[in-house]
Amino acid sequence: MALTLKQQLSSPGGILKFLVKYNTIFIFIILVIFSALISDVFFTSVNLSNLLKQVSGIGIISIGMLLVILTGGIDLSVGSMVALLAVTFAILINLVILPLAIVLTIAIGFGLGSVSGYLVAYQKMAPFVATLALMTIARGLGFIYAKGSPVTFKTAGGVFMSNFANNSTLGIPNIAIVFFIIVIATMVMLRYNVFGRLIIAIGSNEEASRLSGIKVNKYKFLVYAISGALAATAAIIVASRTNLGSPNMGMSWELDAIAAVVIGGASLNGGRGTAINTLMGVLILGLIGNILNLLNVPSYPQQVVKGAIIIFAVLLQRFESK
Amino acid sequence: MKNSENEYRLEMSGISKSFGVVSVLKDVTLKVKSGEIHALLGENGAGKSTLIKILSGVHHKDSGTVRLNGEEINPKNTHEGQVLGISVVYQELSLVNDLSVAENIYLHKLGASKFWMNWDKITKDAQELIDSLGFTIDASAKVRNLSIVQKQVVEIAKALSEDTKVLVLDEPTTVFDPTDTKKLFDNLFRLRDQGISIIYISHHLDEIIKIADSITVLRDGVDTGTMAVKDTDTDGIIRLMIGRELKDLFPARNVEIGAEPIFEVKNLTAKDTIVHDVSFSVRPGEVLGIAGLGGSGRTETAKLIFGADKKKSGTLILNGKEIKTKSPVDAAAHQIGFVSEDRKEEGVFLPLSIRRNVSVTNFKSISGKLGFINVDNEYKKVLGLIDKLNIKTPSSEVDVKNLSGGNQQKVALAKWLSIDSKVIFIDEPTRGVDVGAKIEIYNLINEVAKKGVGVVVISSDMPEIMGISDRILVMHEGTIYGELQKEQFSEENILRYSIGKALKQHN
Repeated sequence: MALTLKQQLSSPGGILKFLVKYNTIFIFIILVIFSALISDVFFTSVNLSNLLKQVSGIGIISIGMLLVILTGGIDLSVGSMVALLAVTFAILINLVILPLAIVLTIAIGFGLGSVSGYLVAYQKMAPFVATLALMTIARGLGFIYAKGSPVTFKTAGGVFMSNFANNSTLGIPNIAIVFFIIVIATMVMLRYNVFGRLIIAIGSNEEASRLSGIKVNKYKFLVYAISGALAATAAIIVASRTNLGSPNMGMSWELDAIAAVVIGGASLNGGRGTAINTLMGVLILGLIGNILNLLNVPSYPQQVVKGAIIIFAVLLQRFESK
Repeated sequence: MKNSENEYRLEMSGISKSFGVVSVLKDVTLKVKSGEIHALLGENGAGKSTLIKILSGVHHKDSGTVRLNGEEINPKNTHEGQVLGISVVYQELSLVNDLSVAENIYLHKLGASKFWMNWDKITKDAQELIDSLGFTIDASAKVRNLSIVQKQVVEIAKALSEDTKVLVLDEPTTVFDPTDTKKLFDNLFRLRDQGISIIYISHHLDEIIKIADSITVLRDGVDTGTMAVKDTDTDGIIRLMIGRELKDLFPARNVEIGAEPIFEVKNLTAKDTIVHDVSFSVRPGEVLGIAGLGGSGRTETAKLIFGADKKKSGTLILNGKEIKTKSPVDAAAHQIGFVSEDRKEEGVFLPLSIRRNVSVTNFKSISGKLGFINVDNEYKKVLGLIDKLNIKTPSSEVDVKNLSGGNQQKVALAKWLSIDSKVIFIDEPTRGVDVGAKIEIYNLINEVAKKGVGVVVISSDMPEIMGISDRILVMHEGTIYGELQKEQFSEENILRYSIGKALKQHN
């Protein structure tokens, strides 16, 4: 079917084309090499596992963002949802047994996402507007329920979660494992499952999808709900890491998630993007932050560099589509 | 003849162009006199569009010369082309939906003019220009609210708003019904008589014979010569275009048609469109044509049946059982297929591979319980269809946007053939499709019917609808005005019903 790697590389301009096609992965590899060269600390297990712990939360909501963006939508509410759901989880963990707290938090995330999904799919509201409203609402609710200050874990369940979130298995942080499982599941789902295929079809041509007998509204609704559930998962992870749920968590994470998805080559018009490339996007953003921290660059210049990388990545992709 | 410098308004000679390693034009010559309608013909992918884009400044030639009135020109962009007097009406409409008709027509001048715009004058000028073309469009209306036919007229008006010396029209009549087409032709004759050189690209050979003075045929990026229209005929042109003899454009219909209807429509009335009281039936194996003018409700009828538009009343009966199609989901579940006239917007998924396109309607048969797709099975099905429909592609993983119009259309058809549709509505089956692919699509329709499917074909192309249908329904103002049996087929009869008149012999 597809050309073999060898064929691709030996065709005229093949190496360049190959580099452009897999640009996200190459940017990632170059960054890793660069980081290793300029910092002795970079390749230590402490630093790498810190890096993975830092990106896991944003990584998980980025996957939800990817699904929404694949349908041609956008979900601005995820950052605030992380805050509200982290507070929710902290309250629940002090009230009910741990498994129930987890299930309830994810269910509430799914429910909140469903509100966006309903507004977008069935009320034909612009995704930007609907999720912008949800973003404000979720942040506000977070502050209301937390009464303005963080809610700390007080039970054995909380201790368990805190241990889980801060420990590693086989050298990989547990929360990164959760993130990777979600990435792999999404990858499989997008390639081999009808749901994945249909959301890509809807994003690439909604009218053609409708006229092919696809339940367009149902699937659009579902991606926002899933994005909500993933925001809940991220919320549980970040709350557990710090032993508390704070309404200030996840501040502007939605923008980082969008950036990660875009760096991963997804099209904001929908229909194009993969889980593995989004993972790369997340890691690239994380790496930039990490290496600049190691070099003691203050946070404001960091933001400038992040922005520049986004522009660079998107320009490369335009080169690819030519 | 004496002064060859001035004989031709436009001389393109020795034009070559490659995109990467793909050579699109090889040493092509195109010479157009002033006051001439010159047809540029060729199958899709023959290089017509590229040649025109070089002329207008979109692409830059690798070698060769372009002369306008004897002087060499090298437009770097379309603006320079326009200033030189070269106007192109492209197939893809390039209007801004949220601006008015007048604003669109003078859009290219807005940037160049003084700071303040005289909207009254612009609107008045635009209105005069449109009126002079003989169409009724309000110049202050938003383009969004126009029909596709009106949009095409605005495109043409836009091209004429400049001091045009060479006017290029790329398939201008695809959306036109015969009355509008005639109006357009009258305009072209008038422009020709004013001395404008017109380059006319079309797949409708009958049109070419009717209006062009001379033709140039491109095949695989090489021009196979220029000739006067009076020295040739349709068969001669087709021979040049596809490089082989063509026995018959339309396949022989030797399908056994069932006695009982497979699908019946009774008193169907739409909620939001003009379609009302539509009743007809189609039998297994039958190809039923639906003709009518643009805006007579043909497409809307198909969409109504398919559940894409809302119904007010009426009954649908499939295999003797009443069915409801509240949405395309229901229609697809009942194995009713619909191939849209607007292939790119409503038919195929351009950025997705052939495999992903075809599978979209067909997941039930290739996926298991949790919706996991059996990829081996999927490949088998898709490769089978590619082979059966003769889709020209190196593999099933090629994105549909890289296929020619004809092959895209086959992909749109494949979607519905993969679910073994019982009834299939095909709206403008060969719009923007080259002759070679047309024949294949006609054969395909024939084969589909042979399997006992009821095929309903909507078409504005008269020879086409008469060539492939067993029976033709003609729509007028939202309902079926008349029905023609095979022996009654003629352009005149279709036209009479289309405009709401009785047939002649009935007088």
